[in-house]
Amino acid sequence: MKKILFLALALCLMAGTAVAADTIKIGLMAPLTGAWASEGQDMQQIVELLADEINMAGGINGQKIEIVTEDDGGDPRTAALAAQRLSTQGLVAVIGTYGSAVTEASQGIYDEAGLIQVANGSTAIRLSEKGLNYFMRTCPRDDEQGLVAYKALKNGGYKSIAILHDNSSYAKGLADEAKTLLEKDGANIVFYDALTPKENDYSAILTKMKAANPDVVFFTGYYGEAGLLLRQKMEMNWNVPFLGGDATNNPDLVKIAGKEAAAGFMFLSPPVPQDLNSKEAMAFMTAYKKKYNAEPGSVWAVLSGDGLRVVAEAIKATGSTDQDKLVAYMKNDLDNFPGLTGQISFNDKGDRVGDLYRVYKVSADGKFMLQP
Amino acid sequence: MELFIQQLTNGLAVGGIYALIALGYTMVYGVLKLINFAHGDLFTIGAYLGLTLLTTLGLTNYLGPFGVVIVLALMVMGLVAIVGAALERVAYRPLRQSHRLSAVVSALGASIFFQNAVMLIYGARYKVYPHDILPRTAIHIFGLDIPLIRLLMLLTSIVMMIGLYLFIQRTKIGTAIRAAAIDQGAAKLMGINVDRVIMIVFLIGPALGGAAGLMVGLYYGQINFTMGWLYGLKAFTAAILGGIGNIPGAMVGGLLLGVIEAMGAAYISIAWKDAIAFCVLIIILIVRPTGLLGERVAEKI
Repeated sequence: MKKILFLALALCLMAGTAVAADTIKIGLMAPLTGAWASEGQDMQQIVELLADEINMAGGINGQKIEIVTEDDGGDPRTAALAAQRLSTQGLVAVIGTYGSAVTEASQGIYDEAGLIQVANGSTAIRLSEKGLNYFMRTCPRDDEQGLVAYKALKNGGYKSIAILHDNSSYAKGLADEAKTLLEKDGANIVFYDALTPKENDYSAILTKMKAANPDVVFFTGYYGEAGLLLRQKMEMNWNVPFLGGDATNNPDLVKIAGKEAAAGFMFLSPPVPQDLNSKEAMAFMTAYKKKYNAEPGSVWAVLSGDGLRVVAEAIKATGSTDQDKLVAYMKNDLDNFPGLTGQISFNDKGDRVGDLYRVYKVSADGKFMLQP
Repeated sequence: MELFIQQLTNGLAVGGIYALIALGYTMVYGVLKLINFAHGDLFTIGAYLGLTLLTTLGLTNYLGPFGVVIVLALMVMGLVAIVGAALERVAYRPLRQSHRLSAVVSALGASIFFQNAVMLIYGARYKVYPHDILPRTAIHIFGLDIPLIRLLMLLTSIVMMIGLYLFIQRTKIGTAIRAAAIDQGAAKLMGINVDRVIMIVFLIGPALGGAAGLMVGLYYGQINFTMGWLYGLKAFTAAILGGIGNIPGAMVGGLLLGVIEAMGAAYISIAWKDAIAFCVLIIILIVRPTGLLGERVAEKI
């Protein structure tokens, strides 16, 4: 009797290891609880959906994917523990996470373990400036937006440009970035200054700006001030186009400015998931809606799906699960991979190169319309 | 020149609001020698009450735009005056005999209480007044487009300030307020009910602050629960600039501060406009420590 039991046990163990050897384990670190729980739960649903799709199609080079999920609680301390647990489970790579500070707490642990980390919502510049070989991200860096602003202003054919920020480190950083690029290109910056947030009356600033006679105004601050600027601009009968940064992407902007004043306002922002229009994205959105009967809340969660797809592509192309080979492939060979959120390539620092930001325009009835 | 006049009107419109709020600071200081730090929040309450009344009562169905504004202003002023009087009764009167600092701490506490109460009742997001209350026409003078409402705002502030000045100077209650400001003990001996005088001061000051809040809401549209802090700080500065405790001083100080800010923004730098305004304040205080009109009028208020 004991022998049979032992045999059975041994068989089970063998079967267990045999199955384990057949799967490729990929980690997911996401804020399933805490302040960003909605993002984290979306991330989990997206990654699991895509892993199922890959497995249904026969896996990667015949091997199935297994997702190992850990909750980081949106909190750096919890994230460090989650990272330590994930590092010991023989994973190929870890997808996530959302917040920059949370990612920062886990970066070193993964790097020491030689584990690839593909963050999806952490946009702080410093994360990829530390020379960590195994760190990558599918989201843009904070300075990417400056480049996009520069392109949008250049493509608009504007000759003299006014730039206005609000002295917050984010808004000033974006304004400086765009200004440097525009000046290098010989554009004429006729106005560059900051307003005081939370004031109600910006007419003195608008009057001064109007006197500088710009073709376009680029405002890098938040939606509250942007709404008031638009409203007071209309009262002055000044019809200059306004371009905003992604902090103006909030429906309250239209409420504050009024539909009439907000119409024609353009802003830069990563696309909302409903506006992702590639073939892959539309197939993904349909599948997601079918499985979960909802839509993902933000583009940041969808970027975790891109993280998984990029890693899967690298494993498929190299035929290996060796981290160094995979990183080298993603940084050097992966070129314009058709992601859910547009074309994906990575530079040597592991940052995503390529277009994510889009230009939105407020329509006459106050809707945010994606511009082609 | 056009730019100068445009900036002058911008500055005067903002300055009018500062002046209205500054009156509340200066009246309370004149009588009680107390800086009422909760005054900025009474201004916020005025803005929020105005929004609530406007959206719930449906006044626009019965009255024209200016009728709505007048009825609304009277209601808001009345309600905020009651809040002000209650504030005095609860937070300041029990401390009347204690050290002056205790009352200042009580004022700060009241300010925090009001700010958080507004946030909890109305939420932390921006609130927006309906857009179609006031006509958005602009007047064309000197080759400039000046919004009509901006001029009306300035006009209303000035009319209210003159009304208050006449009330203080010409009426019996006004005389009692002035008497209490000079010497509370002597005023009591003359048969003046000083507690009632203080109550009246706390009705008038908050009413004007509430009216300013309503004006800001109606014109700029956007209000939030922290707005009282910034306006309160500026108005307090304006009151000191003109000579605190002095009513014409608060008016002059408010309008001047608005114009200095606009001119600083126009001709020096926008980012530095607050710094410029405060530099001017420091210079004025070095030259005239009692403020611009602090000495010209012998008695305070």
